[in-house]
Amino acid sequence: MANEVVDHGRRRFLTATTAVVGGVGVVAAAVPFIKSWEPSARAKAAGAPVTQSLKKVESGQQLIVAWRSLPVFIVNRTPAQLAALPKQDPRLVDPKSNGSSADQQPKYAQNETRSIKPEWLVMIGICTHLGCVPNYVGEMKPEPFDPDWQGGYYCPCHHSRYDMAGRVYQGVPAPKNMQIPPYHYVDDTTVQIGVDPKGAA
Amino acid sequence: MANAFVRWFDERAPGMAPMYRKHMTEYYAPKNFNLWYYFGSLAILVLVNQIVTGIFLTMNYDPSAAGAFDSVQYIMRDVEWGWLIRYMHTTGASLFFVVVFLHMFRGIMYGSFKKPRELVWVLGMLIFLVLMAEAFMGYVLPWGNMSFWGAKVIVSLFGTIPVIGGHLVEWIMGDFLPADSTLNRFFALHVIALPLVLLLLVVLHLAALHEVGSNNPDGVDVKHGPKGNRWDALKPADGIPFHPYYTLKDLVGVGVFLIVAAFIIFFAPTFGGWFLEHDNSIAANNLLTPAQIKPVWYFTAFYAIVRMVPSFAGTAVWGVIAMFGSIAVLFALPWIDVGPVKSIRYRGTGYKVGLTVFVIAFLSLMLIGTDLTDVLFPKLFGADIDLTTWDNVFGRIMTLAYFGFFVFLWLYTHLGWEKTKPVPERVTTHD
Amino acid sequence: MTKRLISTLLLSLGLLLGSASAWAEGPELPAAGNNLRDQASLQRGAHLFFNYCVGCHSLKYMRYSRIAQDLNLSEKDVMQNLNFTGAKFDDPVISHMPAELATKAFGKDPPDLSLEVSAKGADWVYAYLNSFYLDPKSPIGWNNTILPNAAMPFPLWELQGEQTAVMGKDGHAVEKLELSHPGTMTPAQYQQATRDLVNFLDYVSEPAALQRRHYGVWVILFLALFTFLAYLLKKEYWKDVH
Repeated sequence: MANEVVDHGRRRFLTATTAVVGGVGVVAAAVPFIKSWEPSARAKAAGAPVTQSLKKVESGQQLIVAWRSLPVFIVNRTPAQLAALPKQDPRLVDPKSNGSSADQQPKYAQNETRSIKPEWLVMIGICTHLGCVPNYVGEMKPEPFDPDWQGGYYCPCHHSRYDMAGRVYQGVPAPKNMQIPPYHYVDDTTVQIGVDPKGAA
Repeated sequence: MANAFVRWFDERAPGMAPMYRKHMTEYYAPKNFNLWYYFGSLAILVLVNQIVTGIFLTMNYDPSAAGAFDSVQYIMRDVEWGWLIRYMHTTGASLFFVVVFLHMFRGIMYGSFKKPRELVWVLGMLIFLVLMAEAFMGYVLPWGNMSFWGAKVIVSLFGTIPVIGGHLVEWIMGDFLPADSTLNRFFALHVIALPLVLLLLVVLHLAALHEVGSNNPDGVDVKHGPKGNRWDALKPADGIPFHPYYTLKDLVGVGVFLIVAAFIIFFAPTFGGWFLEHDNSIAANNLLTPAQIKPVWYFTAFYAIVRMVPSFAGTAVWGVIAMFGSIAVLFALPWIDVGPVKSIRYRGTGYKVGLTVFVIAFLSLMLIGTDLTDVLFPKLFGADIDLTTWDNVFGRIMTLAYFGFFVFLWLYTHLGWEKTKPVPERVTTHD
Repeated sequence: MTKRLISTLLLSLGLLLGSASAWAEGPELPAAGNNLRDQASLQRGAHLFFNYCVGCHSLKYMRYSRIAQDLNLSEKDVMQNLNFTGAKFDDPVISHMPAELATKAFGKDPPDLSLEVSAKGADWVYAYLNSFYLDPKSPIGWNNTILPNAAMPFPLWELQGEQTAVMGKDGHAVEKLELSHPGTMTPAQYQQATRDLVNFLDYVSEPAALQRRHYGVWVILFLALFTFLAYLLKKEYWKDVH
């Protein structure tokens, strides 16, 4: 009964082929399930670009708008705050935003002020440490956490500090500068957050 | 490397390898399984499909009366691939019953419920019962108009119970109509409670089966036949290891089944309104009963029985008793049919006729329950017939035939009327 | 015996599907004959919907952006030619008519049409749009043979013209409809227009229908390959069994 020759080669070949094709099938079947976790059309609609007028934001003031449920800080920086920015460079982790923070802004905002127009800062207000929303402390006066404070952001969670361009100071837990979202000017006094300027990739 | 891991694992879980051998490589199944024996493994496949797709549906479904209907459309339109996951679940639900009906019919036809497999049968019947509850509650969740009125009608069945009925209905719904509370508790039962019970019962069903061994189309008990096969001198001569032989055979069955399922999912997900009903595309409306309120197809045979039994002595409970009786009587099958021969191949002519009548009765009740008889009868017997009378007469005959089968079977086997053919020593066919 | 039972089962299944009109009972309707793969028809249907229907009827489960994507229309096209309510591109199609006003005008809320074809069937909607007639007895001046006493005044009358009913002998049942006053379209053009509109609503009731057929072919071909391999493997191993 057990005398017939078993073609082991054919068995191995068929087993391997069936297993591979079956495996491909299982992986392919998993794709829709994994993809179903992507933001849905509703979430994407809620994450559509946000248009904001700047007319009513006074010099030195901050406005917070929600984009993709994230807080976006829009600040009209004063000339004094702008002037203080270059002076902070020695105390910052990545003052030119080209090191560890190279990916934290679009190319068109990779400059000293981290913005398109120097006075207007448009930034996602999420601390790069563990995701808290830092407080805006705009006044240039000695603070308990920094006697030489030149205006910026102070995170209540773990005391990370950023300057008026969202650049992180040395010696705090946060590793990177805060993120700049894609944005552009629709006209002189209106920004749209979520869309790059024409011509910028 | 792999061997080292197996040894490491085996030292820490010494029970696993023997268990694997007991249920797979050294589970000797009769070698003559035919087409009918695919449906058990297919039922497990569908169960897994229902659980996986069900878990993913809960991620976007909203179990509230205000949000349920919208959330189903959200899944169908806004969630990436949500339509596929939902169609896999809805198609799976209907195919579950196709597979389970055929699996149960196999058991009846080849006497798989008979001694020593009574426990396997009873556990299987419990699975069927829980499956019906699971399907019904799942059907309510989309909160379309058929969901709503289906829930109302089915729950009202309990209202026919004397004395406590009225309050029982309110207790089940947690309101005076199917409402938010009903939907919430059905959701909890559908996604957690009943699936756990179902899984436990499936494990017990399989454990009980593997204890006594599988039956086969010849109804020959291979465990007590001659010993010695090419794998083991002490094991049944007509047995073959479940793995790899039946795992591979079932794999082919899985392939064919998936092709059928894929065809439905991708080309006919509503299946002409049978798997997903048109009226359920209208949101639940407590002021508007759908033109045709009837259960989804797999319940229709049982539901038709309710309609066929007239109220009597001021209560409609008789129809409900008859409907539950039609399921309860199946539980008792091992003690109704005590004929010594298992397989239909060697049973008396009376049995073959009886079973044929039973199948015709079941399918006819399905036709009545789906209201298809209202379409068929005028086509067959002329447009001017009195449909209600025809339906009732036909349905009552078929209800009697359904129950008559069991009465006949009891008499036929208990009184020794059956003239059987000789059962062979060994299994006769295999491929 | 087994074979006979299988064939009995298959036969019954065939019977079930053969007469599978699971739609609510009613007169048999002519086929709408719409085709979801006809993109031009879908686009024409969309234009009809947004010119004649959206004033009262919403498609609350349908986003403008999804329509643009599925019907191969540009964002500009949709926002200028279809969206007259000032909604955002990603917003669902919501009619501008306030509910109270609608209830006052028609006695009921105009229903959302997102799932109309799923609920009623393409044939029904097509027949409905072709069955309006002038009825002096009706408070709105119009009636419909498919949905008697419909609350909706016929919105496409300029296109089809005016139909009047020819009563049967008993004077109650409508025997047929006659075009008493032609519209801007010929009857054939009007039928095609309503077919396009039904086609669009059919798409709206299940946008995934456009994709699923496409994927289905590949899934089934793949499964056929897998089944064939599994069959060869099973055959090979079962050589052991005698």
